Amino acid sequence: MSKLLIVDDEVEICEFLKSFFEDRDFEVASANGGAQALEKLATFHPEVVLLDIQMPGMDGLQILKRIKEIYPKMKVIMVTAVETQEKIEEAMRLGADNYITKPLSLEYLEKDVQDKINILAKGF
Amino acid sequence: MKQRGWASFKRDTSFHIRTPKTVLKKVLVGLVLFSLGAFAAYLFPFLMSFSGVSGPWVHHPLFPILVMTAIFVSAYKSTEHWVKKFLEKYFFHKKTFAQMTLMDLANDLTVNLDIQEISNLVVNTFGEVLQLKTVALLVPDPLQNNFEITSAFGWTISASKKVRLAADTPLLKMIHQTGPHVLMRGPVLQRLSWQEANALARDFDSLQAAWISPLFVKGELAGLLAFGALVPDTVFDQGDFHFFREFAAAIAPCVQNAMVVKRLRQLNLELQDSQSQWIQKTKLNAIEKLAAGIAHEIHNPLAIISGKAQVLLMQRGPKQLEPNVQAALNAIVKQTHRAADITRKLLMYSQGSRGPQERISLEKVLEETLSLLAYQASTDKIEIVKNLDRELPPFFANMQEIREIFLNLLLNAVEAIGTEGKIVVELKYRRDEELIEIVCSDTGKGIPAEHLDKVFNPFYTTRHEAVGLGLFVTKQIVHRYGGSIRVESQAGVGSMFILHLPYAAEAVREKEQEKTGATVWI
Repeated sequence: MSKLLIVDDEVEICEFLKSFFEDRDFEVASANGGAQALEKLATFHPEVVLLDIQMPGMDGLQILKRIKEIYPKMKVIMVTAVETQEKIEEAMRLGADNYITKPLSLEYLEKDVQDKINILAKGF
Repeated sequence: MKQRGWASFKRDTSFHIRTPKTVLKKVLVGLVLFSLGAFAAYLFPFLMSFSGVSGPWVHHPLFPILVMTAIFVSAYKSTEHWVKKFLEKYFFHKKTFAQMTLMDLANDLTVNLDIQEISNLVVNTFGEVLQLKTVALLVPDPLQNNFEITSAFGWTISASKKVRLAADTPLLKMIHQTGPHVLMRGPVLQRLSWQEANALARDFDSLQAAWISPLFVKGELAGLLAFGALVPDTVFDQGDFHFFREFAAAIAPCVQNAMVVKRLRQLNLELQDSQSQWIQKTKLNAIEKLAAGIAHEIHNPLAIISGKAQVLLMQRGPKQLEPNVQAALNAIVKQTHRAADITRKLLMYSQGSRGPQERISLEKVLEETLSLLAYQASTDKIEIVKNLDRELPPFFANMQEIREIFLNLLLNAVEAIGTEGKIVVELKYRRDEELIEIVCSDTGKGIPAEHLDKVFNPFYTTRHEAVGLGLFVTKQIVHRYGGSIRVESQAGVGSMFILHLPYAAEAVREKEQEKTGATVWI
């Protein structure tokens, strides 16, 4: 079973994403902030992370940086409420694998997550 | 007096504009002289007999002829002078009239502060009153350090626009040496070595001038009047040239004042422009902050609403949703995206062109945008015709913004048409004007005349479902590129949007070089 970590400060967003992906046979964990996310990364070892950019405290970009330092192979999809060009460029520069904007199209998201998992399965 | 190129004319109270060399004058002179001679010849024998001198030679037939010839020769000059005076006074008002017209003009100009009006008046009055071939008024252009023609008589407009007299041309150098004297082509050139004469003749030729009257104000050259005559300039006598000089002295301060006023107006406009730009910038900054905040705060709840609906719609398993529930959920998803679009457009508008500018092909961007609409167009029987310039150069811009322009124009056209009609998109490169023209016309319902000035306002819309930001955002983007957009429309017939984006081939080349330069460095 593929493992997915959802990081978003909005509890409700974590909830519906969790139920959506669990429905598709994913093992899903969620975190509502930076510190919690880092903790989950260490214990849960997800293959794909859905990471909100704007969060109070430690923001998505800082977490992304840490993830790519510690687990360079982990796939990270950035989720953003506002398409600020600079933030997106910064995220891509830091090694994010894709980005998606809110409100989310779950159809697109599912396809993207599956793509990333397929890439990992091929051993890239 | 030896005639010199710039004549130090004697002060003469009567100025002449063209001597009236008429038959009438000659006839009059002849008549006066003949009657004087005949009278003298008739009286001579009596005078002789009174004075006691007598002899047969007094009655000789040759004698009166001799007396008449003597009188003809001695009295010719003064008679001609008096006849001329007499004619001028009672019959030939024309030249005094010309002088008066021109001097009146000089007086009128003192209350005029519009350089264009002043120069039009001067050159046209001169040209018409004196029946000259060409007259041109040149004024300095401080930005380019040369002289340009503000108004010309007897010139084609395009020719007069092309003439620029650089500050270091031989003619201007000479004028600075000679001061306010009238420069006459022939005499001036004769005084110079042939090399200098050639160089100077070129300047005279470029101004189509036979003589030039500089306008000096307190030692500063405020302009030039260049005259070209249909006839050799010998028909103007020294008095005339003196008059030209006086005239130049009279209008010089007017020209200078008007130029100062023009410059002030320009500066004022520039100031207003930068002021409004600054206000616009401040406004944009405020809107951007607001929009970013709103987008964040609104997109999260929208994401939750739309997400939960999508979870239900895409649920797996045997349980099927009731059709009405499914429809409701679909509507929720669609409408949340629509709401998010508003804030996205607002953000796009306020963020300005901070996105990266890249080399793009307008044609390609148009293709991509059209493919987005293809489905709707095919279901609705809308024909889309592209009319592309074959030599469309690559454009430097933010791809996203150009796509937004096309998308807004096309969506608008599709909406205006409804179910059946035709859209024509034209892309043209206007090399002469250095701009790219985008024309999007449709056979839609058109815009009522009273709404034409509102279509670019934010939140202006006639559609129930629309936000009314499309054309507003389009206009902002176009303005950001220094371009313009306008609309022509007739209710019931269709609308045509015409966009002009400035395209400077030079600038693009530079940017490309910058880009390649950057790549090399990386």
